[in-house]
Amino acid sequence: MSAYKPRFGRVVPTIVLVISGLFFLAPLLTLARFALQNVPTILLGWSTLFDKWSISGLTKAFDDPAFWPALKLSLELAGGTVLLTLGLLLPTAIWVHMRIPKARALIEFLTVLPYMIPAIALVAGIVVVKPHARWFLDSDYALIPFYVVLALPFTYRSIDAGLRAIDLTTLVDASRSLGAGWIETLGRVIVPNLRAAIVSASFLTAAVVMGEYTIANTLLKETLPRFQRTFTGREPQAGYGLNLLALLVTVLLFAILSLVTKKRERSLISRLSRKPT
Amino acid sequence: MTDITVTANGGGRTAGAAPSARRSWAWLGLLPFFAFLFLFLVVPAISVFYDATRNKDGSFSLAAMKQAFRGQNLDAFKFSVSFSAGAAAVGVVFGTLLAYAAASATRPRWLRSLVTSFSGVAANMGGLPLAFAFLSLLGKQGVLTKILKAAGWDLYSGNFGLGEIPGLITVYSYFNIPLMVLITLPAIDGLKQSWREACSNLGGTTWTYWRRVGLPVLTPSLLGGFLLLFANSFSAYATAAVLTQNSKIVPLRIGFFLGGDVNVGEDAVGYALAAWMIIIMVISMSLYWVARKRAERWQS
Repeated sequence: MSAYKPRFGRVVPTIVLVISGLFFLAPLLTLARFALQNVPTILLGWSTLFDKWSISGLTKAFDDPAFWPALKLSLELAGGTVLLTLGLLLPTAIWVHMRIPKARALIEFLTVLPYMIPAIALVAGIVVVKPHARWFLDSDYALIPFYVVLALPFTYRSIDAGLRAIDLTTLVDASRSLGAGWIETLGRVIVPNLRAAIVSASFLTAAVVMGEYTIANTLLKETLPRFQRTFTGREPQAGYGLNLLALLVTVLLFAILSLVTKKRERSLISRLSRKPT
Repeated sequence: MTDITVTANGGGRTAGAAPSARRSWAWLGLLPFFAFLFLFLVVPAISVFYDATRNKDGSFSLAAMKQAFRGQNLDAFKFSVSFSAGAAAVGVVFGTLLAYAAASATRPRWLRSLVTSFSGVAANMGGLPLAFAFLSLLGKQGVLTKILKAAGWDLYSGNFGLGEIPGLITVYSYFNIPLMVLITLPAIDGLKQSWREACSNLGGTTWTYWRRVGLPVLTPSLLGGFLLLFANSFSAYATAAVLTQNSKIVPLRIGFFLGGDVNVGEDAVGYALAAWMIIIMVISMSLYWVARKRAERWQS
């Protein structure tokens, strides 16, 4: 009731929301202006506000010979990281839920360890180990397992939440008693029920990999973020365009993601089969 | 590899009331996961500590660990800690305000979900694009810089710079505030209307309510949020790499040592910086963990 809400309690939230909106929109708008409008800031004013806008700033990076190899490497790394993440975490999480629920706290703790060892400290360790494992670490694809580690806190939580939402034991028992083997149970019963969790884990992983700069830069791997940095130094306007594009793709990924997860929350089946905790 | 499974095995046995052979075999299923973490997280982390505590001849020595707190390295730590603490404080205050505003605004129904969805995106939006976005807004050639100058306030006449403390705090707020929103929103939702009514029935004012009920309940969340934002700001690399020069923050200084532009033997200092960073992160994240557990008490 409004009796408990003084007028002050209405005005302040509105002001906070408006200021926050401005703060979060402004950098994106000015980034877009630099990318799309070919007018130096010195000359920017009311008279030139609508001059020389063009979409070409967004696509100019595509003409650079180094762009496509960098994009290809980043996409390959993202794909590899997603596959390794799912290949490692799905069986582990299912196993923990079915066989050793007691290990859940331990596994949860282990998956947040990467928060304590940030990317720059992890890459310091990689540099130490490098002379002993050149055969592996010289390859560009050696980044994949480390990217799995970086994304681990997000990905495990997402898969774990998915597993909590379904009655795994009943599903598996039903499937097994109908004569399905383990592989079939995994592929045709568990994975379809975890689709939303798998999609969100994959998107988060891809977003982490496509933006990862620290490790790639220190190990001199020519990924997209590294190209972004050097290219923006060479060609500011087109570089800003590329960064805008990277930002838009990330936002799009997350927007799709929130749609997917919302759909899951709305689904009646998952609500009915949610275990009481 | 074996070490970890053995301890895990032991842990399962001591924790279980009736250890069955079946249960111990079940731990084997976690072997790939433990082995993976061991190889790609534990080994690099231990290697950092190992190399940070070695002399040039390979014997044990704490010289590098001490060197990491002298001269320019100490300056980097001071700079990093002060701007991270500042960024965390700003993030806590504005993140909580924004979360409260989103939780209490009922009028447009989509507003709350907009704030939470956007926070989910922006909390992960560090990295290069963010740095460039702020350069276009508040850099020397930034649009806002020009607008403010036209209005008579020359930002760059003083010490302002996006690589200085106020500048970095502003930029990091872009991902810190949304992260704080995600942390405090459940806590704010946990504040029950009935507590407010009870307080008012007992003759309390809004001030009494916040002073005696609201803030004490929120405190663990706010403290936890501060620690998480501090750790988040302290370890961020990519954004700062664009905005600052001369590697004056700790992550960039580690990168500088790893880059190999230093004398042989000096690289242990880089590893020592990384080791100290891990120690600081472990402390702040462990405290965060404790605060979170306390905060969850009121969230049902």
